[in-house]
Amino acid sequence: MAHAHTTTDIIYGLYTDETDLLHAVKQAGDAHMDIWNVYTPFPVHGLDPLLGLSESRLHIAGFIFGSLGLLTAFLGMSWIFTRDWPVIFGGKPYWPVPSFIPITFELTVLFAAIGMVVTFYTVSGMGPGTMYPILDPRITDDKFCIAFDKTSMTGSDVDAINNFFENTGAAEIHSKEIA
Amino acid sequence: MEERATYKMDGTLRIVLLVLVGLGALCLGASFFSNPDGYHTRFWSNLLHNSVFFTGIAFMAIFFYAICMTAYAGWHVMFKRVWEAFSQFMLVGIILIGIITLGVWLHWHHLYHWTDAASLDPDSQYFDAILKHKSSFLNPAVYTVLGLGMLGVWYFFAARLRSLSLAEDNKKDPFDFRAFRKMKVWSAVFLPIAGFTSAAAIWLWVMSVDAHWYSTLFAWYTGASWFVSMIALTILVLLYLKSQGYYSFVTSEHFHDLGKFLFAFSIFWTYLWFSQFMLIWYGNVGEETIYFKERYENYPVMFYGNLIINFIFPFFVLMRNDTKRKVGSLVIVSIVVLFGHWWDFFLMIKPGVLHTAHEALEHAGKAHAHIGGMGFPGLLEIGIFLGFLGLFLLVVLMRLGAAPLVAARDPYIQESLHHHT
Repeated sequence: MAHAHTTTDIIYGLYTDETDLLHAVKQAGDAHMDIWNVYTPFPVHGLDPLLGLSESRLHIAGFIFGSLGLLTAFLGMSWIFTRDWPVIFGGKPYWPVPSFIPITFELTVLFAAIGMVVTFYTVSGMGPGTMYPILDPRITDDKFCIAFDKTSMTGSDVDAINNFFENTGAAEIHSKEIA
Repeated sequence: MEERATYKMDGTLRIVLLVLVGLGALCLGASFFSNPDGYHTRFWSNLLHNSVFFTGIAFMAIFFYAICMTAYAGWHVMFKRVWEAFSQFMLVGIILIGIITLGVWLHWHHLYHWTDAASLDPDSQYFDAILKHKSSFLNPAVYTVLGLGMLGVWYFFAARLRSLSLAEDNKKDPFDFRAFRKMKVWSAVFLPIAGFTSAAAIWLWVMSVDAHWYSTLFAWYTGASWFVSMIALTILVLLYLKSQGYYSFVTSEHFHDLGKFLFAFSIFWTYLWFSQFMLIWYGNVGEETIYFKERYENYPVMFYGNLIINFIFPFFVLMRNDTKRKVGSLVIVSIVVLFGHWWDFFLMIKPGVLHTAHEALEHAGKAHAHIGGMGFPGLLEIGIFLGFLGLFLLVVLMRLGAAPLVAARDPYIQESLHHHT
């Protein structure tokens, strides 16, 4: 166990069908097995509550960034056209609120979108140059994966996991050490 | 399914709805006799306003039904009988619009400036070149044939789709998809027809109230108004039926989707409203801006209130995930938005009608009379609205009770049963 602090020993099963995966995750939950992670090539409906994941708070960030974009655009244009450089366009008043609305809307969307991407990458620890170990390249293609951490497991625990994978219809079972 | 398979109207509800209809009839009668201008303008404008509003809701129900059908959607199948029942109100709509059409021929009312024969006569001092120019479309014959014809076509499709849907209930073989396939064809045929005719109907019934003015976005904007009202009323009817022990399989998942439609189409309505407003405001062409000048000078509360109750309120309340799933927030937003779009129609119809009435008084050499209920909805208007709402619900719930509540043999029923958003 000398390397236990630097690497994680993973055992994972690959499923070919999302329904099998959902049943397996439910069964693992009922048996109080400690799932390390689940990987799917696309978002699978109903997986989050089975894994006990709480609702994402990303949309709160979206709202805050959106509000920031709204204020930036609206106050920015208001300042420019009333204080900094007042110009009359097409006989409209110095503060033509209706014509601000499209740009205000666009900056709201832009800030919310970019802000949410940046937030998501920051929270997930991702970014340019980040290397993230991948268990199996096919989990981004057509395989559904349940992974357990067997670093500190005894032999009988591993046997139980092997049995679990076989009973729930996993197509393949593999082990991998990741850094 | 252990719940009751058909709806039976509760005695108390029947009394409540009949009282509402009675109240509406009373208010409509009172508005007929409150007649300071001699043209019964208040009565006729209220009749037009409510007839168009509720007929539009019935139309949108079958229109959206056909859209869902064509899009292979399954989520709504559990409660699709409600939309089928909504569409049956069109028959009443034909009668209501028929009365107004008859009035166009017999000069019972002055709702539309273009019905004035003097405006088309080049020798008359009231000759109106613009109306003359538009008279190939804005004339009683087109109004009658196109208006009632379109309603007839819509009702034909609605009746066709409903009878096919009912025929499906009796099929013996679960893999017999004949009725379903026929419904798909009828829906697909209906969509382009409905798309074009609803726009023309809105031009004739609503936009021609301001006969000199036109906007190419108007039909979409009004259609969005109808659509939001239809979704709001669907939510309210479904929640009521659930509270009475029906539709226990319509869950918060279905309401979540209805809530999303309510939210999204409130924004869509605002988008169209604003697009129409901003282009006219920025273009600053007198013939176009007159429409909004009239409204924000003489109807400021209604004009800005329109945006608050139909955009700001539903936008901020329904923005969250959970408010689209909870009964309380859905009921409040649906009631506010349903009333809000009725308010929107008030603002589309009343200023133009009032203007026409004033012009007619001037031509007759009479002084401007103060006509109640034209600047702001009075108690009579609210009473008439409630009366029409009662009539709509009475007809819809009676039609709903005439067939099984759940289309149990629809191929998509299982998808709807297990629907997750």
